[in-house]
Amino acid sequence: MAETILGALRRFNRWVALAVGASLLLCAGFVLLDIVLRRFHASFGGTDEISGYVMAIATSWGMAYALSELGHVRIDLIRSRGGPRLRALFDLFALSVLAATVSLIALKCWPVLERSILNSSRANTPLETPLALVQWPWMAGWIWFAIASWVTVLAAAALLLQGRHDAVHRHIGITGEIEEAEAAAVAALRPENAR
Amino acid sequence: MIPSMTVGLLVFLGLSIPVGIVLFLLGFGIDTFFSPFPLVRGLGNMVWSTSNNPTLIAIPFFVLLGEILVRSGIAARTYAALDRWVSWLPGGLVHANIATATMFSATSGSSVATAATVATVAMPQAEKLGYDPRLFSGAIAAGGTLGIMIPPSINLIVYGFLTQSSIPQLFLAGLIPGLMLALGFMAVTVLLCAIRPELGGVRRVFPLAQMLRALAQLLPIILLFGIIVGTIYRGWATPTEAASVGVFGALAIAALFGRLDLGVIRESLLGTVKVTAMIMLVVIGASFLNFTLASAGLGAELQTMLDGLGLSPMGLILVVVGIYVVLGFFIETLSLMVVTIPIIVPLVVAAGFDPVWFGILMIVLIEMALITPPVGLNLYVVQGARKSGRMGEVMVGAVPYVLVMLAMVALLIAMPQLALFLPETLR
Amino acid sequence: QSETLSVVGSWSNLPLHNEYEAPFWSQTLPEASGGTIDVALTTHNQMNLGVGDVYRLLGEGVYDVAMTVADYAVADAPELEGLDVPLIAMTADEARAMVEAARPMVEDIYRDRFNSHVLAIAPYPPQVVFCNAEIESLADLQGLKVRASGRMTAQFLEALGAEGINVGFGEVPGALQNGVVDCAVTGAGSGYSAGWWEVSTHLLPIPLGGWDSVVTAINLDRWNSLSPEMQTLIADTIAAEFEAPAWAAAQDALTSDIACLTGNGDCPAGEARDMVLVEVSDADFARAREVLETTVLPDWAARAGSEWAARWNESVGAAVGVSIAQ
Ligand code: NA
Ligand code: NA
Repeated sequence: MAETILGALRRFNRWVALAVGASLLLCAGFVLLDIVLRRFHASFGGTDEISGYVMAIATSWGMAYALSELGHVRIDLIRSRGGPRLRALFDLFALSVLAATVSLIALKCWPVLERSILNSSRANTPLETPLALVQWPWMAGWIWFAIASWVTVLAAAALLLQGRHDAVHRHIGITGEIEEAEAAAVAALRPENAR
Repeated sequence: MIPSMTVGLLVFLGLSIPVGIVLFLLGFGIDTFFSPFPLVRGLGNMVWSTSNNPTLIAIPFFVLLGEILVRSGIAARTYAALDRWVSWLPGGLVHANIATATMFSATSGSSVATAATVATVAMPQAEKLGYDPRLFSGAIAAGGTLGIMIPPSINLIVYGFLTQSSIPQLFLAGLIPGLMLALGFMAVTVLLCAIRPELGGVRRVFPLAQMLRALAQLLPIILLFGIIVGTIYRGWATPTEAASVGVFGALAIAALFGRLDLGVIRESLLGTVKVTAMIMLVVIGASFLNFTLASAGLGAELQTMLDGLGLSPMGLILVVVGIYVVLGFFIETLSLMVVTIPIIVPLVVAAGFDPVWFGILMIVLIEMALITPPVGLNLYVVQGARKSGRMGEVMVGAVPYVLVMLAMVALLIAMPQLALFLPETLR
Repeated sequence: QSETLSVVGSWSNLPLHNEYEAPFWSQTLPEASGGTIDVALTTHNQMNLGVGDVYRLLGEGVYDVAMTVADYAVADAPELEGLDVPLIAMTADEARAMVEAARPMVEDIYRDRFNSHVLAIAPYPPQVVFCNAEIESLADLQGLKVRASGRMTAQFLEALGAEGINVGFGEVPGALQNGVVDCAVTGAGSGYSAGWWEVSTHLLPIPLGGWDSVVTAINLDRWNSLSPEMQTLIADTIAAEFEAPAWAAAQDALTSDIACLTGNGDCPAGEARDMVLVEVSDADFARAREVLETTVLPDWAARAGSEWAARWNESVGAAVGVSIAQ
């Protein structure tokens, strides 16, 4: 059950990440076209402003994918010295702290959007972009990151209770760990390490 | 404030909490204990303003460029070609690691991407040819740091952005020191392998014809470097915009080699989103931490401390270098830059130093931070890519290259012209 | 009863902060209060704040006092653009008269939009034009690429037939040299110290980007929590010891900055340079007013709403002799 949920979450985040990546590529194409147009004294105008919005939205929506793929950097000094159970506890603890922090961030996005809605704020640029228009998808990304984190916390907690430490490791661990253990055993048998 | 922050940092990092989140937690801590003001109310605005940033979009662009090069096999070709050229040296393939890293630095804006690129391509070779895993992986970790020195560089973009100095000038300034570092890395490798040949694996000499054929494989990447740097210096595009040129340049080259398909594009996009989110969580966390630190008066605390010491300008630089070396052990590099620039750069500029020169000096120190434990991103990237052996091996292997960087720091302080010559000449 | 104020200053590298803000908040005011006011001072760039966030966070009560360029906040308050219209104030005295006339409007805007109370309005040096192109008048900007910031300035340039281009401050010298832009707008002093004279030839010493008024405001709840005596003390001291001297020095600073760039007169800041000073004619002013009255200001009136346009006509417009057609 828990693993099914985590699998589905991961697949969904992958689709989100593809959309995010595609919008980044599109944005790069847009910027490139603008550079070419400028050679001919034409320009879309406002590519930098739009790049900023794309960056904000891509960042917030990319966060949950990076979580699914164990992409957020973690330091593995003390944790790696423990057994599977201790490591799983470390992972679950770290993930819970992440989920709580991200929830706070998502919550604090609202006053930003609210202020833009109340003031009908528009960017101080010729495009006059309504800020609420770009801030709501940005906030939605952080909310999704918070939800995805909590779902992961619950699913991982269930796995931990079932004593399935290897599964916990696969879903919320630090990459390279199992491979490292396996490979260390292989490497020990190699001649150049025997000297 | 400084001692409790240091302790907090070490404890949180020790608990394996994601680094970006640790920076937020420290910010919350400072807000709660050292600032009478409700800084957390500004959290949402900090997150929005930091990520809504047209300059920082260079980060995903340069990462994407690197991803395309790796996944379309161009990185592997480059590595193989450079192998033909440098493997006769004592240390053999280790030089190919450094040279490939140098070449990729010239197109990629990030050290992480560079290290990951070279590590992915090189690691299988190390096992086949019997190299010392420590030196071999240490060289990749160190070579990868050149990505932030040799233009284009994400970190120099961030530095220029925060200090309002010219990014093209910073790029020019990084060129000579970057190449010198690469040569220094190779020199120290030769030296080590001359003393202890068992570190170096097999030395191989290739016939001239093969070397020349290999040269053709290097052309695409040289061309790409030319395109990126050319558009910046012809004044056609800002460095950020040039990143988009680079993305499509890489796509074109991949297509030219018949290596571009939907799978390559999909995996490159996914990799880009993952790395960008990872970097941005840290950058945003650092911005928030910086905001709380400034509000709690860290800048003033440091300024008074430094004024009290009554330092000469040279003394100030040495203290600053010391600060970066120590902080560099513990703080992730982009965070280190973002946190310190607003505090340190004004002090340094007020003491009469050139901000462009200091940017380059800081980059060497940041490069060092990338490969010093316990927090050294490149060490982890290389370890992640090699999938065998212990983390400690990479750390030990990086030590000789850290010494080269220290020598570079001394050289830059003694001869600022190393950085400033090109920007002043080509101004 | 002693109070601690957390104060967020404007750009820490500019003279307004170093010569006026910093001494006022860290010495003058605490001394004038006889030690009852304590100040913790930083600046928005040292805090790494986005410039658009400075007053938003002030309103939220993140800090007590903030100052930055009013133009940075116009995303949240389009009516604030009327404080700083390009080319209607040529001298510091005129700029001050314009700001004084706008003051009641500004106070209402800050109260309603940012939950804060305006304490002072001081000038940054006027935003003048550096060109790496032969120009003899304002009309010669037609067809040129000009780096400027702010919507109103961009629209003004567009109305003149110039093209507004967005380039970061640090990239301007390279952009001027490469021909990415032909002209760029910034304060004369900033342009002098950033070496823009190396890459540009002609200086058009008119405030094309306006005067960049810097508004100092205090969070309204915080302000109301202070005793009436303390409110009076702060208001009086800031008017006499910060606002007045900053304005008094503004015209002289402009004159000597222009001297530094063109070599016409004494340059206290260092070596004088030899940019060509472009004299601006009456025809130029007439053209500028026409563009403002027919295009730029009516556009602004549409953004801000007609009540604000009417208020502007009665106050600022009356002071400078410009009227927005309703
Ligand atoms: Na690079
Ligand atoms: Na480090």
